[in-house]
Amino acid sequence: MPSTLREQVASPLAGATDQMLSDRAADGDLRAFEVLVRRYGPLMRIYATRVLGSNDETDDVVQESFITAWQQLGTLDDGSAVKSWLMRIVSRKSIDRLRARRLHVNIEDTDAPAPESHAPHALAEAESQTEALARVLATLPEDQRRCWTLRELAEYSYGDIADELNLPLSTVRGLLARARKTLLREMEEWR
Amino acid sequence: MTELTPTNRRFLAFDLNDTEREQAGLHGHTIEQLSDYLDRGRVPADPSIDDSPECEIALRGLERLRRAQQTLLDKDLKRESLRDDSWVASILDNITLEAHAGREIPLSHPSPTARLVVTEGAVRGVLREVGDRMQNLFVGRCVLVGDVSVPGTPISIMVDVTVFPGQNIPLLAEQLRHAMYVALHKYTELVVAAIDITVSDLQALPDSSAQEKEH
Repeated sequence: MPSTLREQVASPLAGATDQMLSDRAADGDLRAFEVLVRRYGPLMRIYATRVLGSNDETDDVVQESFITAWQQLGTLDDGSAVKSWLMRIVSRKSIDRLRARRLHVNIEDTDAPAPESHAPHALAEAESQTEALARVLATLPEDQRRCWTLRELAEYSYGDIADELNLPLSTVRGLLARARKTLLREMEEWR
Repeated sequence: MTELTPTNRRFLAFDLNDTEREQAGLHGHTIEQLSDYLDRGRVPADPSIDDSPECEIALRGLERLRRAQQTLLDKDLKRESLRDDSWVASILDNITLEAHAGREIPLSHPSPTARLVVTEGAVRGVLREVGDRMQNLFVGRCVLVGDVSVPGTPISIMVDVTVFPGQNIPLLAEQLRHAMYVALHKYTELVVAAIDITVSDLQALPDSSAQEKEH
């Protein structure tokens, strides 16, 4: 195991602002980019796993996202907004995966089934609230889960979600309201 | 988790499909309105919400959901941070530095058939390197202004610098400018008319916990 561990020397850049790191990375500084990868990679991984419903493709999606980010950093006007910019990229890549997957399996307009690992089991009542939340999130219909994740993890506005998913604002509002109500109702079972 | 709604006041009043029934159970409001109200920090105060026991129960449920969401995220982030580092290496290995090479800057050579160049990206790297060897500052964006492809054409350089608190900014800037001139002279044949340094000062000293705070 230690052989796979990269030597983690605390970079002097670890405390630099997002703006500084983005500017340097846009100028071609790989070390600054590495700090950004470490700072936001974990959140991007969590995000991709939530949207995809499993972590099989998370590594690929996050890697593709960072490669795209590296190539396009020069187009980012405001370096202090790099977090939401990265979340937008990983969101697009995740959604592309979902579309490709759906095309591949030729699933019709049905909701994705809950992954096996999240299926309710006999010990459900012993779960903590957070485990229960993770389970319920995974069983939300795909379009609701996407909206919820964009809202809660990527901190998108309703309008941004509508743009991103190419949906009317009213639909986004409806999906979010439904997701929220489902989660609230399920919470009644948690205690 | 300890904050339980009394069992006789279980909140199940809203209806998933019927807005009218949802409103009937929530004193005329919807879950969405209550969620927005919570997002606004419950200001300006709305007595029709604040004075309704049904709404109060729903708001508590929403707050509990929000806390669970945050706890779940914290837990996931903690788990991710314990992963081995190979994913970072794998990302960096797949990145090509050419993406930011920029323009080519010619270098002279005694042989008429040889063509030597240094890339703009490499020159920016030299400038950052100069800054990284100094204490108490970070060099940010470096821009080469002018036609660098024609030897002998005077150019200027614009550099963004962040200076740590409590430093003598004019002195640091002058030291940096001098060190940059020296390095440019050593590695390039650029005729540099000016190095314009824009300084912003950092509000607080960076430290290793800053990364955590970002999360």
